[in-house]
Amino acid sequence: MLEIADLEVAFETRMGHVKVVSDFSLSVARGECVGIVGESGAGKTQALLAVMGLLPRGARVSGSARLQGEELLGRGAGALDEFRGARIAMIFQDPLTALTPHMRVGDQIAEVLVRHRRLSWSAGRERALELLRAVHIADAERRLRQYPHELSGGMRQRVMIAMALACEPDVLIADEPTTALDVTVQAQILALLAELKRTRGMSLVLVTHDLGVIAGLADRVAVMYAGRLVEQGTARAVLKAPRHPYTRALLDSMPRLDVPSSEPLRAIRGQPPDPRALPAGCAFHPRCDLAADLCRSARPRLRPTGDGMVACHRPLGAAAGEEGPTS
Amino acid sequence: MTNALLRVVGLRVRFAAGRGASVHALDGVDLELREGEALGVVGESGCGKSTLVRAILQLVRPTSGTVVWLGRALDEMPARELRSARRDLQIVFQDPLASLDPRMTVGEIVAEPLRIHRPDLNAEARRREVHQMLARVGLPPDAAARYPHQFSGGQCQRIGIARAMILRPKLLVCDEPVSALDVSVQAQIIELLHDLKRECGTALLFVSHNLAVVRRLCERLLVLYLGRMMELGPTDAIYADPRHPYTRALLEAIPVPDPDVQPARLSHVLPGEPPSPLSPPSGCVFRTRCPHAVEVCARQVPSWETDSAGRGIACVRWREIGPESA
Repeated sequence: MLEIADLEVAFETRMGHVKVVSDFSLSVARGECVGIVGESGAGKTQALLAVMGLLPRGARVSGSARLQGEELLGRGAGALDEFRGARIAMIFQDPLTALTPHMRVGDQIAEVLVRHRRLSWSAGRERALELLRAVHIADAERRLRQYPHELSGGMRQRVMIAMALACEPDVLIADEPTTALDVTVQAQILALLAELKRTRGMSLVLVTHDLGVIAGLADRVAVMYAGRLVEQGTARAVLKAPRHPYTRALLDSMPRLDVPSSEPLRAIRGQPPDPRALPAGCAFHPRCDLAADLCRSARPRLRPTGDGMVACHRPLGAAAGEEGPTS
Repeated sequence: MTNALLRVVGLRVRFAAGRGASVHALDGVDLELREGEALGVVGESGCGKSTLVRAILQLVRPTSGTVVWLGRALDEMPARELRSARRDLQIVFQDPLASLDPRMTVGEIVAEPLRIHRPDLNAEARRREVHQMLARVGLPPDAAARYPHQFSGGQCQRIGIARAMILRPKLLVCDEPVSALDVSVQAQIIELLHDLKRECGTALLFVSHNLAVVRRLCERLLVLYLGRMMELGPTDAIYADPRHPYTRALLEAIPVPDPDVQPARLSHVLPGEPPSPLSPPSGCVFRTRCPHAVEVCARQVPSWETDSAGRGIACVRWREIGPESA
């Protein structure tokens, strides 16, 4: 369905050429949910904004992103509109800034259909009502006539999802869709996304820093660090038996209900690196407990393991003969 | 009772909402915090967490009830005494960068409480204190000369903690201090607070919407909903055996990073959102979302029941619904 290959994103800044995404390849099958995990600055959002053609002018994008075989990268805004919103849609962390403040919610949803599907405004509004019901907004007739600021955060995110669904896209990209919400509302939105994926056979790309959010929805998980994929595999493999020490560390740093509260949280020491000054070798080595000399000098390549991929010289749970080159 | 650091008694805060209407942001909160103790306050947006913090810090005036600090009502204290009480009552905010003055260096920011409350210290002694504190919260030695925008969110939160802790306060109020941070950095900040609390004997009032975060830090837990107390008690007891249906719902909503468990958790999610505080439900305010609500819940405001183990609950049906019904 969506095939991203060798994606690279760089910005020209006063400090020179800064690469924020490198060698990023990912494929998403029909009806599949792929979770992309990583800390702030890992390049998750930049990679997907590049796919959507939403990066600012100064960005340099190379590589390829194909939607059902058709290239998305390098198209002008006009040519992209045939895809964006229609066949591939994106929702964001903060629905209030993504919605138009002075337009009624119903009209914003209808506008998508008027533009992409050439519906009349009245038909568009009728469809908007159906969509609000499909995302389980109570009292949908009244909500249709309200403005974004009159809605709660959870309801705004539902409106964003309704708008994204308007043209029945093949792929929905959700960038930290629940990070700004209360845990209870977060659970509701995640349940809604799970339902939509199941009932509509839609492909879903879910970007988040929270592995708990990924675990409920994703079939496969890709872990990013410092602009690169460091691990990829089925959700079960990555979350239950991670191969990359970074994935393990992310899991360990989560507060869990099933360990005694007297046990300290195992934080990852230090900070994610500055993309302008990446460490030599493996970018994670300064924060990694397993780092050896090789990790400080040579960047590990993404290599196949069992049913996934890992970029690490010293992967966890490595079977004999699976170790990287040691010289 | 007498060794309480902080006592909140019958606290009500009502805001005018136009056309003669009013909103009860807090409707009857009673709690006590002992020296060195950590109390977590949890609930969704609009549950009154932030109003409670602001009322304790005397940033909003309670409609009724009092906040008692070391045996003295804060609202009756003369300005001079209130000022010295504030020295022992510090706060860390949710948005780390927004709570730091962008034009001041980190050294100046952390030294400011000393300049105000410790005029006896000379510049050299102040500088020494600041450097020790910055090192203690894990910031590099050159941090003092730099500005807040040069630091990441997690580091800015360390700066905020250094500023709050430099006077060794008796109480540190934390208002969602980690909810804007990455999970990996959250853990660092929680462990830092945990260690500082132990070293300095500082009591914590830790406000959060995330129950998993609170658990590591707080010995006791208060669950608020629409400005009312739902459940209060020792943290471990509440996690092992949550009695209030709302507490259970909050615990069930925490995402678990296990693909064998988490999808099923998403299938029984608490529906709806808190009702408008302008027209709270009759009886138990939680009843409109409660899976166990019956007719009596609409009629009767549940009374606050306590037991000998220090647990309190406001639910008419908690005995009937039994432990952890699915």
